[in-house]
Amino acid sequence: MSTTPTMRSRLKRNRPSLRKLARPPKQRTALGSAFNAANLPVALALQHCRDCGTVQYPPRELCRQCLGDALVWRSTRGSGHLVSSIELHHSLWEYFKRRLVEKPWPVASVRLDGGVIVFAHLAMATFGTAANPRLPVGTAVQVFTHTDCSLNAVMIAVAADTPVDSRDQRHAIAAGLGLLEPAIKPEGI
Amino acid sequence: MKDYGGIALTTPVSFGYARQSPHGAAWFIGSTLRLLLAESGLGADDIDGLAVSSFSLGADSAIALTQHFQLTPRWIEQMPYGGASGILALRRAARAIQAGDAEVIACVGGDGAAHRAFEATAANFSNFTIDASFPYGGGGPNAAFAMITQRYMDEFGARREDFGAIAVAQRYNANHFPAALLGHKSLSLEQYLAARPIASPLHLLDCVMPCAGGEGFLVMSEERARSLGLDWCRILAADELHNAHRDDDIQLRGGWTEYADRLWNRAGLGPGEIDMLQTYDDYPVISMLQMEDLGFCTKGDAPGWVRDTDLRFDGSGPQARKLPHNTSGGQLSVGQAGAAAGYLGVVESMRQLTGRAGANQVEQARHAMVSGFGMINYDRGLCSAAAILARSEG
Repeated sequence: MSTTPTMRSRLKRNRPSLRKLARPPKQRTALGSAFNAANLPVALALQHCRDCGTVQYPPRELCRQCLGDALVWRSTRGSGHLVSSIELHHSLWEYFKRRLVEKPWPVASVRLDGGVIVFAHLAMATFGTAANPRLPVGTAVQVFTHTDCSLNAVMIAVAADTPVDSRDQRHAIAAGLGLLEPAIKPEGI
Repeated sequence: MKDYGGIALTTPVSFGYARQSPHGAAWFIGSTLRLLLAESGLGADDIDGLAVSSFSLGADSAIALTQHFQLTPRWIEQMPYGGASGILALRRAARAIQAGDAEVIACVGGDGAAHRAFEATAANFSNFTIDASFPYGGGGPNAAFAMITQRYMDEFGARREDFGAIAVAQRYNANHFPAALLGHKSLSLEQYLAARPIASPLHLLDCVMPCAGGEGFLVMSEERARSLGLDWCRILAADELHNAHRDDDIQLRGGWTEYADRLWNRAGLGPGEIDMLQTYDDYPVISMLQMEDLGFCTKGDAPGWVRDTDLRFDGSGPQARKLPHNTSGGQLSVGQAGAAAGYLGVVESMRQLTGRAGANQVEQARHAMVSGFGMINYDRGLCSAAAILARSEG
């Protein structure tokens, strides 16, 4: 395959607003890719230290507690509490820019019971609070991952009592957020 | 801790603020250096120490710049500490002068602003950013700071008007500082409140505008400054602490809480004796954290405190209590020139204390508190730094 950039690929790279299809950020570090792979078969997998048991996030090389080199990916309970939540109205990334035209994009910061802070797409529909979109600090939530249309695992936060045990249930929530389809500009390149 | 006696901070310069620029970081850093030489009367070979902070050097580092600019320093530092860069630079440089490792150190922060460069910086800011924050859509640090702002409002009852008081007073100051990129526009509280939402509760005028520019100063001994005929100011106290309060859910305080008392004791001053406060204002809530943690008011009281304090440089506001704050307009009105923004408060304080500020001069300025904050590695800013500077007596 030629590695010379074509006019088409140049345009796509340098002018994302001209693209027909825009997807969530693709780039991850090697550890981020390991997070993606570890999360494929389960609802949520995080690194744990085999020596001291400390849960880790964001993905890292060594245990944040004991600096031990014994991190393993384990299925983890996603229960936690809301630290803060916001609504994005602006993004630097074309996929989000297109989604934001329709409505603001809610994002949460959650302290998982395992001790780590995670940023997550916030599935407001699961809270049944359409009238009052502001969730109070400390609201019980659960967090799971789903593969987005850039083929990366991303965190999704839902109300604590939302059924998310089955893959279909999680898929429906991720689809409802629009994460499984690129944002389309019909007249794009 | 040994004091900073005998050290002179001289020759504050700001260079080339622009919203967008075809020039790279080396152009802004080198041009700032050229101004430093011109203002001080020194030659390039008199500079034997170089401290550089920049986000956009690309493949280069501080050492590459020595070849670009034909410098031969015997002391060099590169400090990728964002909003704490200026204070960390002056601390490191002062110690190097005291130890005799160098005689004249140029401290420079500079960054370019090429088309879509901010997006690239934001997307690649750190490994944690790449894996765990940028994929969630926030434009650079906006999302993390919106979370902090929202939580601060929830905890302490702050309102948008309170953040607006900071932004509006700073714009007034910028209206008197020609280099400020937004200084040609006035700003009322109504305009502030009417700005479009960015990451609610943050709106447009809570967010700094990325831009290009350079900031710099020289550090040398007082004898050297005197022999060169330069005005200077002194460091009464300075400190730093990084990744403090690391178990907090969210950043409602910074490392300043752990050393503010020591800082005041070493300087022999209290908040009432400070003639101007320069906080790192990447978002107004962060200025409030600094006001609280440095002892100007207690935790959670900053919203009321800014309502009751005239933050304008000339004390022309209606409030009885006066404390000029971010006297050049801060980043919110000058623009955030990458790592140069971490120098903004230091350089502005030096201009004020040596009586070189121009139209935004604070009268009778003797003591300045400068504070730095930087590096949103993931969900919070890791660096904290603060310094108390004084006008030289002789």
